[in-house]
Amino acid sequence: MTSDKSALAGPKRELWFAWYVTVAFYGLYSVIFFAVARVQPPGRPWLAPDQTVDWFADRRWGLLIGFALIFVLGGFSAVAIALITYSIRRMSVSPVFAYSYLILYAVSAVPGFMFICVAMTCGAMRPERDPVVQQWLYDLGFLSFVGTMGVFLIGSLVWMMAILLDKNGVFPTWFGYLNLCNALTEVVIAPSWIFQRGVLAYNGAIGFWVNVPVFGLYTTVFIILLRNLIQRDDLGTGPLPEPPPDVWRRARPPVEAATS
Amino acid sequence: MTTIETLPEDAAGDGADEVERFPGDPDMWLFVIFETLVFTSYFCIYLYSRTQHEQAFLEAQSALTLWLGTFDTILLLTSSWAIARCVQHTRAAQYGAARQDALVTAGLGAVFLALKIVEWVHLIRGGHTFTSSEFMQHFFFLTGMHAVHLLIGFVVLGVLVRQVADPQRRSLTTIETCTTYWHTVDLYWVIIFALLYVVR
Repeated sequence: MTSDKSALAGPKRELWFAWYVTVAFYGLYSVIFFAVARVQPPGRPWLAPDQTVDWFADRRWGLLIGFALIFVLGGFSAVAIALITYSIRRMSVSPVFAYSYLILYAVSAVPGFMFICVAMTCGAMRPERDPVVQQWLYDLGFLSFVGTMGVFLIGSLVWMMAILLDKNGVFPTWFGYLNLCNALTEVVIAPSWIFQRGVLAYNGAIGFWVNVPVFGLYTTVFIILLRNLIQRDDLGTGPLPEPPPDVWRRARPPVEAATS
Repeated sequence: MTTIETLPEDAAGDGADEVERFPGDPDMWLFVIFETLVFTSYFCIYLYSRTQHEQAFLEAQSALTLWLGTFDTILLLTSSWAIARCVQHTRAAQYGAARQDALVTAGLGAVFLALKIVEWVHLIRGGHTFTSSEFMQHFFFLTGMHAVHLLIGFVVLGVLVRQVADPQRRSLTTIETCTTYWHTVDLYWVIIFALLYVVR
């Protein structure tokens, strides 16, 4: 962060607040899903009803405490989405990109993020219910969380297009391409609706173990790049101040130079 | 693939400062490396699954038509040759020929995709579906993912053709970047062909 105190006043300070909330949100999300509720890595899709009851009983308090925290703090995901939307608004592209991204993520956060919390909390709160109902909640939770990635895919493509068309230099071009990589791994999730076993199931080698590192890297990268954006941002509307010299680009000639 | 060439870093330089230049935008090469790592993981998972059920994989694999896969490979390799010539023609400022090369590339890609759809339909009618066996699960997944990359490739070729056609937009870097993407998609197919059709 800059040491200039004046730079920390007003909108810049608010951007930093949004960035720290984003870091806290993704940190909390990871800890709760992987360590507290233990819904990641996902359970086995082929569990029988009685096994599903055991699965809920095994992590009952983790589900209740973890998702209670999500219900209280999950709304901060809006700040993270807003910061990304701001990054697109800071670009030279049409605001249509920012609005599309905002609406896509606002809508898809409900099935893609909240349904699993509701379904798993319901299963943990009602252990006396019919095991078949418990199995249904288990499947609803995981399939809504994993299987709705298609909407997020479009969000990644919208962000990618905005970055590739942007003239303000808000993000490097390679991050636009990384958005495409992330979107392509989200295509892979779709077969999890079909397969209960194998590499494409929602806990499978491709369905989970390849995709999660890609998503983890993508998330880490965009959080770092958002930090760089806030550092460089002059809160104007034109090109951002130049980043440090890029040694990769120094030898790029125009077409005439290459043909001469 | 287009070769890495050596170009003077500074026109006023004495030649001692020459640097190796990547063809195209280096950012695209990062995409190529990253996406290739992802595809490599798919290939490793396929090979591991194959070692677990070798006989079942062999039986399901016999439903594939080797000559069709070979023909597909020739089509895509020819498209790679055509797009490499497109770059050569651009460097020589022969933009009409470059545009023709790009259209040939797109045409070959379209024929490849059409044949792939014919092959999928033929397999499905023969009872070999996405869910019929573990081999077919991998087959439809890998060829389907490749087809998605190919569809993106058509958008990339559209950008390339526009660059070649419009003197105001023309940029060798962008044309090389588009070419890099197309070569990468071809590379994935060559490996998919080797793993799914040839290795028995």
